[in-house]
Amino acid sequence: MTADPLDPVIHAPARLRIVATLAALAEGDSLSFTRLQNMLELTPGNLITHLRKLEDAGYLITETTGNGRASRTSIALTPRGRAALATYADALRDLLGSA
Amino acid sequence: MQRPLDNDETTTDGDGDELDPREAARLLAQTEREARRQFNLSPQWINAVMGAVILVAYGSLWLSTREQHPYMGPSLGVVALVYVGVVVAFAVSVKVYRRATAGVSGPSVRQQQVEGVAILVSFVLGSPVLQGAMHHYGASNAIVYGVIPAAAPLIIVGTTALGIAASKADWPLFGAALAVVITGVVAAFVGPSGAWLAAGIGLFIAVVGYAAATTRLDRPVPRRA
Repeated sequence: MTADPLDPVIHAPARLRIVATLAALAEGDSLSFTRLQNMLELTPGNLITHLRKLEDAGYLITETTGNGRASRTSIALTPRGRAALATYADALRDLLGSA
Repeated sequence: MQRPLDNDETTTDGDGDELDPREAARLLAQTEREARRQFNLSPQWINAVMGAVILVAYGSLWLSTREQHPYMGPSLGVVALVYVGVVVAFAVSVKVYRRATAGVSGPSVRQQQVEGVAILVSFVLGSPVLQGAMHHYGASNAIVYGVIPAAAPLIIVGTTALGIAASKADWPLFGAALAVVITGVVAAFVGPSGAWLAAGIGLFIAVVGYAAATTRLDRPVPRRA
């Protein structure tokens, strides 16, 4: 079984969980960095690494408001990211269906 | 992003090389299910709490008035019990809402808050205003302390919820709200004591039906045929 048709940006455990979690929100909504980190039980550094990869691909946007300890980072899936997850899920189904 | 990086910055946490498609499908389904559970505003246990509160509150109101001839209205003790039940249900709902929406921001959260205010205003103002007006114009106790407080909140709040559900195409909520409105209409015509019984049964059925519908819709469905 090959994983070639699967989007490599999403096809990683942590990033798949990040995208799937954000996709559960209503379109246009965002999630705080802290809540996302708690839900996925990832370290801040690890989460940041994966968020950057997803952001570079245009799958999500992050926004930081405030300064210092009062700063708040929120993350939202872009329409492109939502479409990429749907395509990824379809590709998974095709792969498993033909296996 | 301004957060400091920690020692795990260099770790990849499984960058995809070893993720089997079957494992990926399982992880995706599990994550979606868990996320839906954590963002859910009406988990099944809260529906169970609401159902229990409805049965106890309306059952008590019916039992305290069914032998009254002429009808005088529920005793103060029962009314106090009902208010305690309403306050408990409200507090539990607020706690669940806050937990589900912690860290979430955006248009849907603002919309939910406005909807909550609309429901609260229609619940708090609707029945007392009608009761006051009926009392002012000399209506009997059966109307002021029986039919109106049993039926009016269901019709008023149910209609408000019906509009909200229609605007969001939320069909389980639409069905439940419609059942509540119909219950209110029925309660208005079965006498002052029977109104409490009809309201309790109808509301309980609406909550159970809503819980069943949301459970059914929450099951994962194929994205593509």
